Amino acid sequence: MNMNFWIKTAWLFLFRSKRSTSALGLMIFFAVGTLVFITAIAVGINDSMIRNSTGLYSGHITGFDLPKTLARDTLLVDGVSDVLQRFQIQGSLHNQEKKEMLTLIAVNPDQEKKVTALWKKIIKGNYIADNEFEILISRATAKKIGVHPGENIIFRSGSAVYCFVVAGIFKTGIERLDHGIAFCPVSILPDLPANWDGAVFLDSGADMKGVVESYARKGLKLSHLKTWKELMPDLTQLIELNRISMGFVMVLVLGVVSFGTACAFAIFIISNIREYGIMKAMGVTPKETTMLIIFEVILMNLAASFAGTLAGSLVVLITSRTGIDLSSFTSYNQYFVVSGLIIPRLTPFLLFLPGAIALSFCLLASIWPAMIVIRQRTADILRSI
Amino acid sequence: MIEVLNISKQFFSGSVNVQVLSDISFKLEKGNTLTIIGKSGSGKTTLLNCLGGLDLPDSGRINCFGTDINCLSEKKRSLFQRKKLGFIFQSGNLLSYLTVFENIVFPLVLNGFSKKDRTKRVKNLLEMLELNLFAKAMPHELSGGQAQRVAFARAMAHSPQMLLADEPTASLDTQTGLNLIKLMCSVGREHNSTIIVATHDNEIIKYADKIIHLFDGKIIKELKK
Repeated sequence: MNMNFWIKTAWLFLFRSKRSTSALGLMIFFAVGTLVFITAIAVGINDSMIRNSTGLYSGHITGFDLPKTLARDTLLVDGVSDVLQRFQIQGSLHNQEKKEMLTLIAVNPDQEKKVTALWKKIIKGNYIADNEFEILISRATAKKIGVHPGENIIFRSGSAVYCFVVAGIFKTGIERLDHGIAFCPVSILPDLPANWDGAVFLDSGADMKGVVESYARKGLKLSHLKTWKELMPDLTQLIELNRISMGFVMVLVLGVVSFGTACAFAIFIISNIREYGIMKAMGVTPKETTMLIIFEVILMNLAASFAGTLAGSLVVLITSRTGIDLSSFTSYNQYFVVSGLIIPRLTPFLLFLPGAIALSFCLLASIWPAMIVIRQRTADILRSI
Repeated sequence: MIEVLNISKQFFSGSVNVQVLSDISFKLEKGNTLTIIGKSGSGKTTLLNCLGGLDLPDSGRINCFGTDINCLSEKKRSLFQRKKLGFIFQSGNLLSYLTVFENIVFPLVLNGFSKKDRTKRVKNLLEMLELNLFAKAMPHELSGGQAQRVAFARAMAHSPQMLLADEPTASLDTQTGLNLIKLMCSVGREHNSTIIVATHDNEIIKYADKIIHLFDGKIIKELKK
């Protein structure tokens, strides 16, 4: 069987029936292009939720109770952009008669400000400064003990007593950060706890599993490490849901488009049934007829999907430069506390998925018209024209 | 030899059964020309379609050069048509998306001719039919006579054993029709092809070795020259 001949014939059929081919191709072009853009937005939304949730405070991986002997630099492996060292001190905050039990977290203010976005959530006052006896408290704590920025406050932990000035008050909108914790500079504490917590921030697109494995190879116990997926199962589930719903959208959109394409393709083939009838009379076998129709579908899809993917990618490229600001829709959403900016992003898999789905649907869609051509007797075809 | 034995064919038209062919039998020697004549609706095209395997009779047998074409599978029938038959239809029926050259070369590619052989054959045919200047033309750019000549070239390109023509001159003027008939007969003889023509045209009858007159699906007269 001369494959090249059938591919060439399919190409000539498509190329020389310009209007029908263009109409069908445009349907596929728009469907694929739109889906490429929609999937890029979906990935961008997921990215944004992860970036917002991990970038605010926790990082992508959190190390708990790490020994003092473990240097911060040890955690700076490939794929890690920064590691923040934090020390937790349990105690109580006092303002005259009012008291609040909380965990004071001693941090390096400059590094924290550089890497996390908690400072952006300050509603009154400023972020703590290095080497200053300053404290950053949540709005709930400030309200409970009745303090304002600039006022003095006492923190007791065992026999140790520290006098701080309230530098600022923050509110993140996230329950676990807005209650029971406060921040002070690590540099002013004379005695640090034996263990520390680490917030590990990864480079964009870095393999989190690979980083955890490299920590394990360095002798770190996995029980001391928690990824954001383990710490934020709600977010993990949300992202999974987002992916699944995106899959549904893709299948539905392409299903609807393919149904339209199938009908249009059936019309295209039926309107050309005369040609297939003449070919059958010349001795073209059912297998060759099927192959010709399949090649027509494949060639049209390849061209339209390629153009659609290219156009979709171009729109993604343009929009990813500035991002799409959805702040007005995400202002009360805890997963967008830092920024509502969505930066569309494409992965190699998602780049080719719409085209592949379109091709599969169109191949399925071509079965019906192909069957019409094959099953109909040549004489009936020729009689009908 | 072509042997047709008691073939019958019915069509369902609404709720009425129409007997299009009724107990048709005849024999035709290889290389002979048969003309099937009869009024419109007498069953000429249906008989031609059955002879070419484009349609199947309800009963009876058609043996073409030792092959009972009704007993062949769809694939084998297609291969039989490809190798041994050439068709000319009333309206030319060229593949509208292919050029004149591509239309004529189509059966040659199907039959596995080499590129060199294909080009040579198509060039010869185009020259013989005075269509050299139209090799790259699309079918819609041709006149009726030119289109019918291309259809003839396509039907004869692979030198088939049998040429079936369904009213080939119907859409042509007298002179063009006559030229086509002469050409068909001379080329047919050259290739020793059996030619079966369904026609109203009295000119064609002159060139026939055998004439069958159909009326309401039955042979009412069979003449041998």
